[in-house]
This record gives sequence, C-alpha cells and structure tokens, in this order.
Amino acid sequence: MTGIIISLLIVPLFSALLVFMIPNSRKEIFRPIGIVFSLITLTQCFYLLFSDYGKTKFVILSNYKWIQSYGLEISLGISGMSTLLLLLTSLLVCVSLLSIGNEHAESKGFIGSLLALHFAINGVFISGDLISLFIFFEALLIPMYFLMGIWGGENRRYATIKFILYTVFGSVFIFIGTVYAAVISYGANGALAVDFDSLASLALTSSQSKTLFLLFTFGFLIKVPIFPLHTWLPDAHVEAPTAGSILLAGVLLKVGAYGILRVSIPFFTEGFLAYKNFVAVLSVIGIIYGAIVAIAQIDIKKLIAYSSVSHMGYVMLGISAGGYLSIEGAIIQMINHGITAGALFMLVGFLYERRHTRNISSFGGIKITMPRYAAIFLFTSFASIGLPGLNGFVGEFMILMGSFNSYKFLTSIAAFGVVLAAIYMLWAYQRIFTGPISNEKNESLKDLDIRETLSIVPLVLLMLFIGIYPSYIESFVIQEAGFISETIALFKDIK
Amino acid sequence: MNGISEILGINFVVIGPTLALLFTTLVLLFCTITISTPVYVKKYISFVGILITLFTIFLKFGLFARDGITSYFSEKILLDEFSLVGNVLIGLVLLLTFNSFWKTSEVIDNKTTEALILILMSASGFLLMVDAENFIMLFIGLEIGSISLYALAGLNRGDQLSNEASLKYFLLGSLASCILIYGVALLYVSLSISGVYETSIAISFIGPDNVPLTSLIGLIMILVGLLFKVAAAPFQAWAPDVYQGSPTGYVGYMAAVAKASSFIVLARLSAISLRFILDKFDLFFTAIVILSVLAGALFATNQTDIKRLIAYSGVIQSGFILSGISFGVYGISASIFYLITYIIQLIGVFTVFSIISGQLSSDFKISNLSGLFKENKFLTVTFSIFMLGIAGLPLTSGFVSKFILITNLWSYEKYLIVTVLMLTTVAGFYFYLRPIWVAAIEKTDNSIGKIKISISDKVLLGFMAALTIYFGLLPNTLVNITRWMVENYL
Repeated sequence: MTGIIISLLIVPLFSALLVFMIPNSRKEIFRPIGIVFSLITLTQCFYLLFSDYGKTKFVILSNYKWIQSYGLEISLGISGMSTLLLLLTSLLVCVSLLSIGNEHAESKGFIGSLLALHFAINGVFISGDLISLFIFFEALLIPMYFLMGIWGGENRRYATIKFILYTVFGSVFIFIGTVYAAVISYGANGALAVDFDSLASLALTSSQSKTLFLLFTFGFLIKVPIFPLHTWLPDAHVEAPTAGSILLAGVLLKVGAYGILRVSIPFFTEGFLAYKNFVAVLSVIGIIYGAIVAIAQIDIKKLIAYSSVSHMGYVMLGISAGGYLSIEGAIIQMINHGITAGALFMLVGFLYERRHTRNISSFGGIKITMPRYAAIFLFTSFASIGLPGLNGFVGEFMILMGSFNSYKFLTSIAAFGVVLAAIYMLWAYQRIFTGPISNEKNESLKDLDIRETLSIVPLVLLMLFIGIYPSYIESFVIQEAGFISETIALFKDIK
Repeated sequence: MNGISEILGINFVVIGPTLALLFTTLVLLFCTITISTPVYVKKYISFVGILITLFTIFLKFGLFARDGITSYFSEKILLDEFSLVGNVLIGLVLLLTFNSFWKTSEVIDNKTTEALILILMSASGFLLMVDAENFIMLFIGLEIGSISLYALAGLNRGDQLSNEASLKYFLLGSLASCILIYGVALLYVSLSISGVYETSIAISFIGPDNVPLTSLIGLIMILVGLLFKVAAAPFQAWAPDVYQGSPTGYVGYMAAVAKASSFIVLARLSAISLRFILDKFDLFFTAIVILSVLAGALFATNQTDIKRLIAYSGVIQSGFILSGISFGVYGISASIFYLITYIIQLIGVFTVFSIISGQLSSDFKISNLSGLFKENKFLTVTFSIFMLGIAGLPLTSGFVSKFILITNLWSYEKYLIVTVLMLTTVAGFYFYLRPIWVAAIEKTDNSIGKIKISISDKVLLGFMAALTIYFGLLPNTLVNITRWMVENYL
C-alpha cells in the first residue's frame, strides 16, 4: 500500500522529467506519454479506491524522518475524500491532456508543467502532516506560474503575479500556523511533530485553538476562494490556458476546502465553533455575489470563473454548518464542481481554439454549425445549474438540506443561488447558441472532432452517473464526513 | 623547546590554511617578478594552493578531535566549531568561485597575478578572522581580507562604475573598521579585556548587571563593524554600488566570503562573548533585523539592475540570518544553516551572471536576461532554482532554512520579528520572480544567443543547483552539523 502511495508522487514526477528529456524533434509523442502516465496514476487511484483505505477517515501509512534533531517527520496517508480527489485529479489531467490543441500538446514545457502540477496536487492530497502539506501546497505554484506565464492570455503578467502573491500571502499564514502548532507540539511531545496523529492528540487551550484555526483557515480560504478574497480567481482563470483553467477550477480550488476539512476543523474544532458563523455569512454572500456578477459577464471564461465563486460558496456553507449531511454534501459538491467546471472550461477552450475570442457577443446561433458541441454544452450547463438527475443537484441539495437546521435564514438565501445559476448559465447558452447566426465568421465553425469528443465524454458520463446513483460516491465519504461531524458534535457537547 | 612552544601554544596546523594561502600568494608573486610564467601555470599554482588549504583545514579537524576547543598562540587563535565551519565555508567559497574569478582574472588586462594574489590574500585574511580569539587578531584578519576586496572591486580600471565601487567600498569600509577598532579599544579601557572568551569570563565575574556602559558601547561598536561587512541595514549603503560596479566574476566571491566569515564571527560573539548579556542587545538586534528586511525589500522592489537587486536581497537575507544569531543558541544553528544554503545560492546566481554577461562588465540589467531560455535551457533552469531558493519556495533549501529559523524565533517568542520576516517573504516573491519571468517566460525578439558554457562551469552550476534541491528535500545531515556546532554552548 505504501508503495502505491509513494508511486502517486513518483509516477507524475518521473513522467514530467521524461517529457523534459525527450528532444524537441519527437514532439508528437509528448501528449501520448503524458496520457499514458496519467492513466497509470488513474489506475492506481482506482486500486486505492477499492482498497481497505478507500472509505476510511485519514490513515497515516508511512513515516519518514526528515530532520531528526527537530523531530520532524514526513508522513503520507490516505482517506476516502483524498482518494476521490486524487481520482478526480488524474482524470482531469488525463482529459485535459487529450483536449488541448496541438499548439500546446507539442510543447514539452506545457506537458511537463502539467505533469509537474499533477505531482504537486497528488502530494497535497496524500500528505499526512502539516509540513508536507505546506510544501506541496506551495510547490503547486511553480508549474502554475509557468503554465499561466508562458501560455496565458494578453494580460497574463498581471494575473500571474496576482495569483502568486495572493496564494503566497495566504500560505504565509499557514506557514506561521504550522510553526505555531509545531512549537505547541514540542511542549507536549518533546518533538516538533506535526503529523495528523500527533495534532489530534494535542490538548489545545481555547485561545490556541482559535488562533490556529484563524491562521490556517485564512490561508485556505484565499485558495477556495471565499468572498472578499476571491478577486485573483477571475483574472487567473481568464488568463490561464485551457488546461490550466481546467485544473485550477477542477482541483486547485478544492485544495483550499480540503485543507479546511483536513486540518482546520478536526484539529482546531474550538476555533471552528467560534468562527463558523462568520465563514457561513461570507460563503452565502459569495454564493449570491458570484452568481449576480456572473450574470453581467461578457467573457465566457469570466462567467464560469464567477460561477465557481458561487459554487464554492455552497461548499463552504456546507462545511461551516458542520452537520453530517452538510459536510458529506460539501465533499460531494467539491467533486461535482471539479467535474462540471472542468468540463465547462474545456468546452470554452474548444470554442476559443476555433474563434480566438471568448466574448459572448461575438457568438450567436452556433447551434446550427456545432450541434454536438451545443448539446454537450447544454448538458453540462444543466449539471452546473443543479438540475435533478445530474450531479450538481446532489451536492447542492445535500448542502442546503444539511445546513437548514443550523442556518435557516442563510440557507434560504443561498437557495436563490440555484435560481441565479439558471439565469446566468441559460442566458449565456441562449446568447451563444440559439437564434440565427449573427457573425459570419461563425458560419464555418467545425463541430467537435473525435479527440475532443473523447476528452469530454468521460466527464459527461460521470455527471450522469453521479446524478442518477449518488449513493455510490457517497459510500466513499460516509465515514470521513461522519468522523468530522462527530468531532464537531463532541466539542459542542463539551461546551 | 617543546615546553615553550607548548606554553605559548604555538601550533602551525591551526593557522595552516592561512599560511598555505599566504605561501601560494608568495609563490605567485615570485613567479611574476623573476621568470615570466605562462598564465596557465599560475592557474594551476593557485588551484593547488587552494587544494592544500583544504587539506590543512582537514588537518585541523584532526587536531580538534584530539584536543577539543583550545586556544593557541598565547590565546590569540582559537580552534572551535565555529572556526572549523568558517574555514570549511571559506574553502568551499574559494573552490566554488574559482572558475569565475579565474576567468575574470584571465581577461583583465595585465593584472592576472594581482587579481589572484588579492583573492587568495583576502581569503587568508578572512580565515585568520574566523580563527581569531583576540579582537586585535580579528581586526587584523578583517583588514587583510577587506583591503584586498577594496582593490578587487576596482580592478577594472577602465570602468567608471568599478572605480566608484572601489572608492565607496574603501571609504565606508575603513570607517566601519575604525568603528570596530574603537570598540575594541573601549572594551579594553573599561574591562582590560580583548578576547572572545575573556569577555564572557569578565562579564560572568562582575555580573551581567554591573557591566559598565563603556564596554557595552564597545561591544556594540564591534558588532557594528561586523554588521557593515554583511550589509545589514542601516550599514548597507555600500552593497548595491559595490555589487553593481565590481567585475561580475568577482562579486560572487566578494559577497560570499565577507558574509560567511563575518556571520561566523557574529555567531561566535553571540554564543560566547555576549551569552550572559544577550538580552541587553535585544532592542539593538531587533531594530537591525527589522530595518534590514524592510529596507532590503523596499529598495529591491524597483531595481532594474539585477546585481543591485541581489545586493538588496542580500540585505534581506542578512536580516534573516542575524535574527537567528541574535536570540539564542538554537537560533545560531538555524542561522548557520541559512548562511550555508544562502551562500551556495548566491555563488550560483553570480556564476550564472558572469557566464551570461562576460566577466568584466559591471552593468547588468534585468532586461539583459530576456529570452535566455530560448537557447540556454541549462543556465535558465539553474538560475531559476537559485532564485526560487533565495525566495524560499518549498522543495529548495531556502524553504527549510526559513522554516527552522522561524520555528526557533517563534519558540523564543519573537512574534514581531516573525511577522515582519514573513511579510518580507511575500514581498520577496514579487521581485525574485521578475528575473525568472524575464529570462524564461517573456516573449522577446532580441533574445540572447547560445552561450558557450565550459564543462567545469556546467559541473559547478549543476552541483550547486543539486545541493539547493538536496538540502531542500533531505536537510537532515546539514542540520545535524549545525546542531553539533552549538552543542557546547547551550
């Protein structure tokens, strides 16, 4: 089992190095190599999913001495939630490699950075201690920096620096939190042990717990992103290349929510109970604000970016409600949003490759020239809105139902987010696809070819599968959501 | 005979490295005066001299293993963990920068031998400085080292910037030396002491609360003299001009050797001389640390010359290293770790610069890097690794050094300093990433053509980049070494 977990790091890293080693004259094999290796990782994730640890709460499986004299160890482990997110990552890396146009696919830097990003994301989800979590959390930035910087849009310099500075600013708080936790742990254990087992056994005072919760949560919330810390997201999404956007929306945003579920809540529960109302209010503002701003967008990518702000607001609302159902809903919503937002960004990427514009007003009536594309886009839009029977509905419904007991007023407002989602998605669909063809450049648009269809179909199938049979995916997170909500309930009782 | 030398503590192994370098310079001088020696012979002479120096450093380890911490030469020279690590560091700096300073010396017109002599002489001075137990000895070592560096900065006579750098360095540096020697004098007048251990013994004898103000001022002046050499604010004014003006091939050596030796001496002062009265210097050190990181970050933000950028980043790093040194023994070990990793990155960065810009040129704008990645992948990748290391990104040694430093500071409850240091780190990403952006990402029409890199340069750069990554992933060995350094001073 340990071997599989380590290979989740080694395989992407090795493939990235391999791509960098291959001379530029063989540029047609960059993409196949990337796909093959991400398929290997995908298989490993499936193996993990059906292993003993695919449904449990977090279990540390291996320890390595890092700095002995400080008692620092690197721990790796796995849980149900991590396995699902790992699976999502591999799937998204695989399909985005398949979906990108030849210009990107023949650049070894692009493929290599994408695989390096895969490495770092995998690292985040299997870290069993704060140090390695922080290391991988920051290491994400290096490939993202190059992906956005080199292959980004017009205004990429501004967007990249903004993205980096926001994230680094957030991670400084995580860093200080790690140091603080380590020093507290030194007082209790005689070593700076910050693996999750030692953290769980720490007896924190009320003020320590609150400070640590604020430090960690602030850092993670920037990544989620929550209103009003979200302003880096639209810029980053608009300027990033398609594959970068897919992974940014699909996985990187989940890293923040994952960190809160993994670190902030279980270990600093008292702080969570003190500040959860605040987080809940911010997330509901985010839901409504993101949706309203999305309505007004004229750039499709920006529209989806703001819809991400809105959808991640649901995740944070579910988390801050802290009940069993709402946390489970939040985890499932994380997966669902990864699938739908990834698919939407991929679809926009297809359109951008054909027309080199993302302006809604330059389209209109392209349903006539691209019927298959239009059908898939509509399907994905429905999933994103949360139509019953598709995946978006499952997570949002569970979150709203689970949060209603704790926050009746906030949840009622949050429910309007679904209506607003229908407005911005369907209105955008109407403006892009229906009616007569308004721009003559759109008359010669080609419909999706086989490669593009192949890359979107797995996501579409997943949307349908999760929508129809949600209890299957639920079965992987039951224990973990139960564990987190029980921790919260326990602390409530003590109080 | 034996008795006298034992009483006086005469042991030539202890000053072996200094002697070996002095001897090498004498041989070089002799070669120049008497017979016309081809240049490559001089190269081998100096290289063999450096190897002999390293060997004598190795011998000192044997001596240390036998006798432990001992003073020699009537308590003028000290053999302890600090001097050993300092010696190794200076030897390492010589070895790592040999390629760049040799190439620079080769092209500098008619001054090849002078340059080599100056470099080896300054290294011997700094070696003496880290070995010194007596403050006068420390001053002599510092002056031998610094005066050679002043000359080295202005060696490129045709270049105005180089002349300016030399003059500025000399004027400000001699002022700093004056302050230092004045501090030594004050200390001697007030307590009749002039040694590292003598100070701590005298203070423990009269009690930390009864230390006369004169000697406190004297100690502060000694510290200021040393802080000048590491370019901590507010004594940083010389650094950008000297870095910018000096021949690029020399800057790596000049910056690294002065920083390494001065910080080792500062660490020793903090661990031994000031150990009973360290809390009296709290405010002084806190002010210097905060000033350094803030001034460095502010001025680095809008530099267009990359050597000036690195100079200001050096001011920030000095603040970081000093913060660990000034508050306790474990902090010192963290600082030494930081120092070692930073010096490797610093030398790496300047090796890249001297390869790109040619050895002599003084001006080196950030825009000169544009389009580097297109033809020179290896240079760009190593350069990026060094810059990210200085910025402190995880997976590089810069992160580990920052992490253990901050952990120590936090356990000393220095929350203000931690906050300022972390904010500077964030700001640092803005200006450390800019050169990488220009070199690797920005699209440009007039990119640099293919630059030929010699194999030795390639090996050196690869080695330093590998060390940066290695200490970022597996820092255990180096941390253990730095912990061993301070174990006796707990």
